[in-house]
Amino acid sequence: MGLRDNVAKVLIPEHTLRTRVAELGQEINTAYTDEDRVLLICVLKGAFIFLADLIRHLEIRHEVDFMEISSYGAGTVSSGVVRILLDLGQNIAGRHVLIVEDIVDSGNTLDYVTRNLRTRGPTSLRVCTLLSKPSRREIDIPLDFVGFEVPDEFVIGYGLDFAEEYRNLPFIGVLKEEVYAE
Amino acid sequence: MTKQTSDAIERVLLDEEKITARVRELAAQINTDYADVDALALIGVLKGSFIFMADLARHLTVPHRVDFIALSSYNRNTVSTGAVRLIMDTRFSVAGRHVLIVEDIVDTGYTLDYLLRTFRARQPASLRTSVFLSKPARRQVEVPIDYLGFEIPDVWVVGYGLDYADRFRTLPYIGALKREVYEK
Repeated sequence: MGLRDNVAKVLIPEHTLRTRVAELGQEINTAYTDEDRVLLICVLKGAFIFLADLIRHLEIRHEVDFMEISSYGAGTVSSGVVRILLDLGQNIAGRHVLIVEDIVDSGNTLDYVTRNLRTRGPTSLRVCTLLSKPSRREIDIPLDFVGFEVPDEFVIGYGLDFAEEYRNLPFIGVLKEEVYAE
Repeated sequence: MTKQTSDAIERVLLDEEKITARVRELAAQINTDYADVDALALIGVLKGSFIFMADLARHLTVPHRVDFIALSSYNRNTVSTGAVRLIMDTRFSVAGRHVLIVEDIVDTGYTLDYLLRTFRARQPASLRTSVFLSKPARRQVEVPIDYLGFEIPDVWVVGYGLDYADRFRTLPYIGALKREVYEK
């Protein structure tokens, strides 16, 4: 059985994603200048496909760096405290930083990451997320660039996974309940 | 091309259209070769490979997972020996899995050789390499490349993941950097 058989419905089709990612690129082009030399920080793994497409639309000077984080396990979810598996390759003091995320759900992890990065003294710190699930938010966190707001459903594709699969679907889909409820 | 970029790029070596077509071909070949495999693990080497990885993975129809590793050389003097530090390892064990290493470029071959030795020791079911660019003229150590995007001459290339001092990494094409940029 193919991966697509487990998709209940397509929430955001490929062409809509493409158009919106291009628009986000333009919004970012407007928000920064070449002199800002904005540093895009991709939180792995989910955001790498979004990032790969977003950067194609950037005309301003920019750089890219990566972070990989992992939760400590059950019980720490609400604190948002995560383990940093891969830290940034560079110092961000005095830099304009833009965090690139695939999805903001409760907001706890992102809140922790932004608090962590803020201690390093960036000149500015903003967030760009492809998806936002406002109905799940537990902490108020400002999002500067948002691709789409999505309902509280299990979304997959375009970098978002379920058990490491479905990341490569070219659209955002909703996973059939029987797949993740098993 | 912005002015800043056009001032630094001597010529476009591979344009976007050519790249897209070739990455699709590589994905099709991988889909065929791994058709009967259900435990394919793509391992991308940061930072350079993330664009190639994103484009390659989205054209794969075979089930696979994606993992990234990050490397750092100990210092400039050790580059030629290929001694690198693994600063982030894979999240998942590769034992018993079919591993495909995804690299942006193979130059001397030292880094890929190191990775092959590292992962071979972990007993994967199979171990192959997918490399976007190869500079055969620079090779110091023989390394097998199973899926190769393009062979290129020995010029300083940027774009599609490849950088010069963290610049030009995200250009949608592969460009040759002007000499005066890196000889400053």
